[in-house]
Amino acid sequence: MLSFVIDEIHPHDIGTILDQEGVAIRAGHHCAQPAMKFFGVPATARASFAFYNTKAEVDALVAAIAKVKQVFEI
Amino acid sequence: MSETNELYQQVILDHNRKPRNFKVLDHPTREQMGHNPLCGDELTVYLELEGDLSKEITFQGSGCAISKASASMMTVAVKGKTLAEAEILFEEFHRMVKGELDPETSPNHLGRLTILAGVREFPARVKCASLSWHTLHAALEGKTDPLLIKE
Repeated sequence: MLSFVIDEIHPHDIGTILDQEGVAIRAGHHCAQPAMKFFGVPATARASFAFYNTKAEVDALVAAIAKVKQVFEI
Repeated sequence: MSETNELYQQVILDHNRKPRNFKVLDHPTREQMGHNPLCGDELTVYLELEGDLSKEITFQGSGCAISKASASMMTVAVKGKTLAEAEILFEEFHRMVKGELDPETSPNHLGRLTILAGVREFPARVKCASLSWHTLHAALEGKTDPLLIKE
């Protein structure tokens, strides 16, 4: 499980663009508001991996994150 | 245009990066907080009235690009309008983002606010775009309790 943030981009914007690229993640506070407060973030994006995920799908996630940064021009 | 580009248009990204009227008013006539506990977006709308006119309207808060850009564009659109005109904009904007009003075919007063029409293709993001407007609507009705959006 990989919880991540991108500076200056809200996790819900990350989630929407990843969804459009065919990558499903969860975005939000994951019912863990105290943890969000501790890390000083409003929310995080979170990708979960399971035994059935392939390397190609991990590559798709990486490419989709690049697309997010491209849309937001950072 | 892809749906992603339809949603994250340059104007919206610009308002997110440099939100207009993003400040606290020292002596607002109305001050209303809006909060969506499900996503964590929260903002406060400050309104300074001169008779029936919204002389100044500003906001402060934090949220995603859509909610911040929508709030910023709302302050630009509402400043200088009468309360009745602001209420009409709220109604039309709300119907547009829910997909009930197509600004291409229905007469409306939305002007540049139609840039946010792409939100209707993203049901999960409608509440982001409408939080600031619901907050303004509560302020126009003279409510004082913090507004909780759960839709």
